[in-house]
Amino acid sequence: MKEFTLTRKKSQLPYAMVLLLILVLFGIYLSRVGKILAVRWIFGIAFGFVLQRSRFCFTAAVRDPVLTGNTSLFRAVLIATTVAMVGFSYIQFAAHLSGCPVPGMIKPAGVHTLLGGIIFGIGAVLSGGCASGTLMRVGEGHLVNMIALVFFIAGSAAGAYHFGWFKENIIKFARPVFLPDILGWGAAFFGQLAFLLILYWLALWWDYNSRAE
Amino acid sequence: MKNKELLKEELKRYADVILKEPFPYWFGAILLGILNVCLLAVSGEPWRITTHFAHWGAWVARAFGARPEFWAFYDEQDNAAALAGGFLRDGGSVQNLGIIAGALLAALLASQFRFKKIKNYKQVIGAVIGGFLMGYGARLAFGCNIGALFSGISSMSLHGWIFMAAMSAGAYLGSRLLIKFFLY
Repeated sequence: MKEFTLTRKKSQLPYAMVLLLILVLFGIYLSRVGKILAVRWIFGIAFGFVLQRSRFCFTAAVRDPVLTGNTSLFRAVLIATTVAMVGFSYIQFAAHLSGCPVPGMIKPAGVHTLLGGIIFGIGAVLSGGCASGTLMRVGEGHLVNMIALVFFIAGSAAGAYHFGWFKENIIKFARPVFLPDILGWGAAFFGQLAFLLILYWLALWWDYNSRAE
Repeated sequence: MKNKELLKEELKRYADVILKEPFPYWFGAILLGILNVCLLAVSGEPWRITTHFAHWGAWVARAFGARPEFWAFYDEQDNAAALAGGFLRDGGSVQNLGIIAGALLAALLASQFRFKKIKNYKQVIGAVIGGFLMGYGARLAFGCNIGALFSGISSMSLHGWIFMAAMSAGAYLGSRLLIKFFLY
């Protein structure tokens, strides 16, 4: 491995061009199956590109504040969420005004969320990557994350297989909670925005204090 | 002649910023946020990843004789439709493949692609257990760090906030496990 870093890195641009051609051809094929599929293909590539270029990692974002005191990734997650929330709420409010069902990821909130989130967090730290991070590192050539992906898929299928039991015994008691439904649109939007800002400020303060130590 | 050289150097500098040097986290964050909004506007559905992993697993299970269409998870209409349609008709599956392709493209453009081998057997154990736990936990919580945390909070849904708190707690427990069993 040391020899690798000592020798000057070869340009991989020719490979990139070949890959780009393949991606475009596959995109054209997908557009014949269905236009939206080609659009989703482009979105996937864009997400992967941005994740790789910015070394974005949700696992480190929630792990590092406690482990090392570094909150730069956690703050980045807050920024991403704030940007998306502003756009989402515009689309949601427009749908609400025109009487359409409100779009978005609004799922039952309850004990199962807490349990699933804890299990997910443990897994993400053990395997060294969350859902987006695992896919991104597979693209970068990490063998470990390829193994993790295989078992990620196996675990998802096992979860889907047992879903009926959880639905009957735990999820049954939970309801989706869309904050504007209980707080009103204004209070939910500005309240959440304020909460995100407060979290950002707290994270900044936490980072500063752990550095001072 | 000299102007041409200068221009070339300037262009190379721009190319390096876009293709080689890592973006600052905040810049990547803004791009991810904008992409997620565009995805919702275009497809009517925010970004999610792991639901489609369940479909991949169900297709494999079906190839081995299982009947996933009878699992309660596939009572939901969207899931049942995706299961019946197959990989190449499922937008989310194609999108997940695109994430791998996009990261590979970015790594190659920066000449940073390297096939990274496994350092020790503990890493494999971590990947096996950790990968499985993530898949299972995400089904239980209706999403992963993307579908539940990023898209859930952005949709002003309470489950997103609970997931963020729970994932942070899980990450803390995972770090303790890592320190105790995997580092030595």
